[in-house]
Amino acid sequence: MEECEAKIFIADFLGDTGRIDLKIRLVAGEKGVNKLITVPDINRPGLTLAGFYDFFAFDRIQIFGLGETAFMRQMSDEQKEKTYGRFFSYDVLCCIFTHEESPDRVFMEYANRNNVPVFVTSKGTTRFISTLMHLLDEAFAPTVTLHSTLVDVYGIGVLLMGKSGVGKSECALELIERGHRFVADDMVVVKRIDESLLMGGGNPLLLHYMEIRGIGIINIKDIFGIRSVRNRKRIELAVMLEEWDSTKIYDRLGLEESMHKILDIDVPFITIPVRPGRNIPIIVETAALNQRLKKLGTHSARELDESLKNLIGSGKSEK
Amino acid sequence: MTESVVIVKGDAGVHARPAMMLVKEAMKYARCSVALIRGGVEADCKSIMSVLGLAIVSGSKLTVRADGDGEREAVKNIVAMIENNFKDKN
Repeated sequence: MEECEAKIFIADFLGDTGRIDLKIRLVAGEKGVNKLITVPDINRPGLTLAGFYDFFAFDRIQIFGLGETAFMRQMSDEQKEKTYGRFFSYDVLCCIFTHEESPDRVFMEYANRNNVPVFVTSKGTTRFISTLMHLLDEAFAPTVTLHSTLVDVYGIGVLLMGKSGVGKSECALELIERGHRFVADDMVVVKRIDESLLMGGGNPLLLHYMEIRGIGIINIKDIFGIRSVRNRKRIELAVMLEEWDSTKIYDRLGLEESMHKILDIDVPFITIPVRPGRNIPIIVETAALNQRLKKLGTHSARELDESLKNLIGSGKSEK
Repeated sequence: MTESVVIVKGDAGVHARPAMMLVKEAMKYARCSVALIRGGVEADCKSIMSVLGLAIVSGSKLTVRADGDGEREAVKNIVAMIENNFKDKN
């Protein structure tokens, strides 16, 4: 398991990002759109424009709101030359103007000369910043690629783990056939979006493809249709499939909850021994339903244990 | 654990057929895990989808890592296969 470092380019945020459209259009500095974003933060350059350059976070995305544009508008051409000259002497990452306010000609010229992309958005400043921060947080979230399979079973994201050849893909196939939705096979890209939220998705290249030994590579979306796939899913249960080992003791009660750590987040974890004649998909389905029950506060094993304890405690058991 | 770094040569990179050759070779070592690592992303060398998903283009730097019985041989053979540009030995 190796964590990979995110490489996020300005160009990644152009157009529809797949989920949220930032509604930004490029007005200057086109040559700079392939610059790397290294800091997932923003900066309001009001103070900087006014001449205070201490702590100028030039490597962040610069957001020009109504205040900044109003300040720039009242400057004389001479002042503009001086201010922008100094502003662009730093290696500014990119500038975004909100409220459909285009920057003046001098600003555009400086941006073009220094290859600093300048964007204009129709959105309001606060709304835009919150949307942008959401996208940046997600893009910069710690990521790991796991050799496993992810299926949405009754609304629970089930991560099927295990060695190659243990039957992860076959199990997923049967689950799809039973009406569940497939997310990714063999390579699951997991992101820690929040301290308690793991989001799993596929490698963009392998999206909805699956390899079944004996058939080869198949496309789940084409074979089973659009309702059998989804692009990402929160991971809520990890299932380890392993060859039946007669010397190992498997959980028979389910009183204790084991956890599996992925990117430092504990995910409920169960081990299912695989043996000919055991219908694994049905066991996975039941595990997912059981997980849903637990989430809603019903714990079957504990309930039975409680009833048993009450019975024993009251001494009513038949002698 | 044995590890070795190799650069992928040739024009085509690792497309479907070379990927299958890598997987076939890795599968010979049943009691050994074999991984290919490119740019921080690790792929199970015994899974064709995983290897394809790495999208290994020509010139990529790959780390071949094996852990288990016959790890030295596994790494040696896979590295040789990549260095020979996936041409059959015989």
